Amino acid sequence: MKATLEIINRMQAEGVIGQYAIGGAVGATFYLEPAATLDIDIFVGLPKASGSSLLTLAPVYEYLASRGYNAEKENIVIEGWPVQFPPTRDALDEEALQQAVETALEGIPTRVPSPEHVVAIALRTGRAKDFARVLQFIESGVLEPAKLDAILGRHGLVERWEQFGIRFLRDAEPSERDKP
Amino acid sequence: MTDWMRRVLESKRAVRERLRTLSFSEKVELLEKLRERSLAIARSPLRQSASRKS
Repeated sequence: MKATLEIINRMQAEGVIGQYAIGGAVGATFYLEPAATLDIDIFVGLPKASGSSLLTLAPVYEYLASRGYNAEKENIVIEGWPVQFPPTRDALDEEALQQAVETALEGIPTRVPSPEHVVAIALRTGRAKDFARVLQFIESGVLEPAKLDAILGRHGLVERWEQFGIRFLRDAEPSERDKP
Repeated sequence: MTDWMRRVLESKRAVRERLRTLSFSEKVELLEKLRERSLAIARSPLRQSASRKS
């Protein structure tokens, strides 16, 4: 993965992509225990195509193809790792990207979203595996409640958070039957 | 919940906590091993014949 990130950093240095942050299971691994995954999600800010307001991944694909990295389904395999480049799609993604945490992987600088942003994005996405990840974050104790509240409020996710609580946290306390 | 089950869960929690506190580089090393295992399982003839049957 080190070699993969070196290529992505080079793309950023050469202006092919803007700021980026590692999302998905790899990004979550920064805060949690490692979880098996087959690919890397790289959230990117993309420069707009000239004369257009549309964001396009074409320069990313062209840059990588010219260096021998080819697309396989929705991924591009870079140094052995399939990579997806989901562009930012709303204000929450933009904020997560801007406020991502600087870190390093074996000396290679990189960025991951804050844990509160990972949780907010997972709530918004709302698949079973996203809910499982939210529970892992809660259990890990890495979340700052005030920061999470503010993010959920800014991005209209308070109701989803409440529904999540009703669905998954209401019975978190051990019942009388379960107590020793 | 039985006492035995409680001990199992506590042990799992302790292992997860130990893994969580590793450095990012150490965790990614483990993640790469997990990925290799997953790919090896997916390539296994047993797995492939099972998926053909289903």
